[in-house]
Amino acid sequence: MEVLVELEHVSKSYEEKAAVRDLSLKIEAGCMFGLLGPNGAGKTSTIRMIVGITLPDSGKVTLFNKPWASASLQRVGYLPEERGLYKKMKIIDQLVFLGELRGLGAAEAARRAKDWCERMQIADAINKRTEELSKGMQQKIQFISTLLHDPELIIMDEPFSGLDPVNTLLLQDTLVELKKQGNAILFSTHRMDQVEKLCDNICLVDHGQVVLEGSMREVKSRYERNRVIIQYEGSDGFLTHPAIADYRSYAGLAEIRLKPHADAQDLLRTAAASSTITKFELVEPSLEEIFIETVGGKTDA
Amino acid sequence: MLRNTLLIAKREYLERVRSKVFRITTVLVPVGMGGVALLGGIGGRHLEAGIQHVAVVSNDAPLAQQVKDALSKGEHSPKTIDVYAPATAADVDRVNQQVTDHSIGGYLTIEDKPGSATPDAAWVSGSSTDFIGKAQMGGAVTEGLVREQLLQRGMSDDQVHDLMKHVKLETKQVKNGQVVSSDTARSFAGAYALILVLYGAVLIYGINIARSVVEEKTSRVFEVLLSTASADDLMLGKLLGVGATGLTQMLIWAALVGGFAGSQLAANQGIHGLSSLGITRPELVFFGIFFILGFYLYSAVAAALGSSVSGEQEIQQFSFILISPLIISVVMLPYVLGNPSSTASVILSLLPPFTPIIMYMRICSQMPPYWQILLSIALLTASVWAMIWLAARVYRVGILMYGKRATLPEMIRWLRYS
Repeated sequence: MEVLVELEHVSKSYEEKAAVRDLSLKIEAGCMFGLLGPNGAGKTSTIRMIVGITLPDSGKVTLFNKPWASASLQRVGYLPEERGLYKKMKIIDQLVFLGELRGLGAAEAARRAKDWCERMQIADAINKRTEELSKGMQQKIQFISTLLHDPELIIMDEPFSGLDPVNTLLLQDTLVELKKQGNAILFSTHRMDQVEKLCDNICLVDHGQVVLEGSMREVKSRYERNRVIIQYEGSDGFLTHPAIADYRSYAGLAEIRLKPHADAQDLLRTAAASSTITKFELVEPSLEEIFIETVGGKTDA
Repeated sequence: MLRNTLLIAKREYLERVRSKVFRITTVLVPVGMGGVALLGGIGGRHLEAGIQHVAVVSNDAPLAQQVKDALSKGEHSPKTIDVYAPATAADVDRVNQQVTDHSIGGYLTIEDKPGSATPDAAWVSGSSTDFIGKAQMGGAVTEGLVREQLLQRGMSDDQVHDLMKHVKLETKQVKNGQVVSSDTARSFAGAYALILVLYGAVLIYGINIARSVVEEKTSRVFEVLLSTASADDLMLGKLLGVGATGLTQMLIWAALVGGFAGSQLAANQGIHGLSSLGITRPELVFFGIFFILGFYLYSAVAAALGSSVSGEQEIQQFSFILISPLIISVVMLPYVLGNPSSTASVILSLLPPFTPIIMYMRICSQMPPYWQILLSIALLTASVWAMIWLAARVYRVGILMYGKRATLPEMIRWLRYS
């Protein structure tokens, strides 16, 4: 697969505060890449260096296999975390302007803007001014403006924040479709459920450093399946088994966390000996649990 | 990239020209200016008229008559001059009453004292600070006295008349090696017109640029823009776009003024075309050059200032900083007019913030060497460019850190980032 973005040992400081420290990552074509991290971890700073709003203090940014150059940005679609549109400008004029800035002709930009507005179900907003639209609609307009020039690399900073479930789904579906067409999508979020569903690769940053990185499968496999759910009838005497670190017991159901490297099969044998087991499940940790475990309680935000 | 700059300029231009504010100010400002000019004309005529009705009260009838003649021949002479000579106590009471009820502007008392060479004279009026009246009356009394003395010494009326003719003093200057008649008032008028136009343009459109920068900062549009266009493109585009709006509006107004100057209405008031407004063609060219360069310099400074503040309210605070060089130029004008080629004037006219007004003033009063004009234009152009560069740097970094206004050391540090 072609590598569209590569950051190599990138660092960036503002005044005394280090925003990003020695960060490296790679994004391939046809990949949905999740940049995760608590607030203030350096996600936005990283993204801004990819789109050239800030330059790294040290390290290398490569776009489309070439050293970073502003000309490459014609092939990138960027949705910043803080949305901004010209308040008094008509939506269609705005979309055409932004499309033209990214190299489209005016007529082509207008045609695509209309198509996209229909696709995103906001065709009736096209002749309104930004200030007349709701926040969610403005966000969809901005989403469109990011995609108008059909970028190979789509970068979205917190794309789903502030959207209702229906529109969130619409945006998610659109992104998945774009991914299938071979576009690379990088998005940052702290909504782990979305990442779990959408992303092929993730990169978890904390305090400006990568703390966890790789494909979703690989990352999860690094964590032990140390959670057990047992549904049973009869005695709960097995809960004193030495492999158990912690448990919550409900009527006929126990949620158990095992000690590191504990033998789950031995627990099953012990439990089966004293009661009837109707369900025994070894659960892999959710991304949310991994996130909390990795970042811990040491977030600033 | 030029394409981006032009796209941004086009957007800024169209958004502004299509706005209601643009249409309203385009119409209202000339209407307002016309109104002010009309009022000024009426007021001016009124002032020029001076004191309309005075009285001369004296115990010396021939002298009183001479003073009356002198008064009526002078400039701004009163329309009606009553003479009470020899005056009675009742006359004095009467004129006092007239001053009180404002039916006369004041009266002169001239009293011959036996044994004294000069009479006692006084100007009595309703107001205490009537300088014009005092100077006018003093001159008239002295003149009247001289006339009477000359008559008494046997001169004829005609001889006295010839002798007492007023001499009109003309002012001339050496321009390009030739003596030509100079009109200091006209040089001043040209420079003041430039000051007025530049001042207005900077205050309206310069601040407008700052406001549009701040708007982009607060609405966070810049982040999308910066991910495709460079900060230099943005700044230059903004400057060109907003500047073009200002120039469009001013061209409309200039066309109105030009149309008026050539119209029948103006002809009725003694104005025939632009030349009678006192503007020569080369001056008009320099006016254009210095106006546009000055306008862009101040606008670029406004853009840089706009990049460094966080909110619209703060724009008001720095608008004074922005126009202070214009105010200094105004203060320096009389000096430059008197000494157009002194070292200080030359240096001042070469300093870019002062160049537009001071150099234009010098051109109007005494043509400076061409190298100085060219140097000043080159320096001005270079500083416009430098200012745009600076504004782009401050914009680029300043927008990423919002919430508080940048201190000067911070801004200097920003320049090293980007």
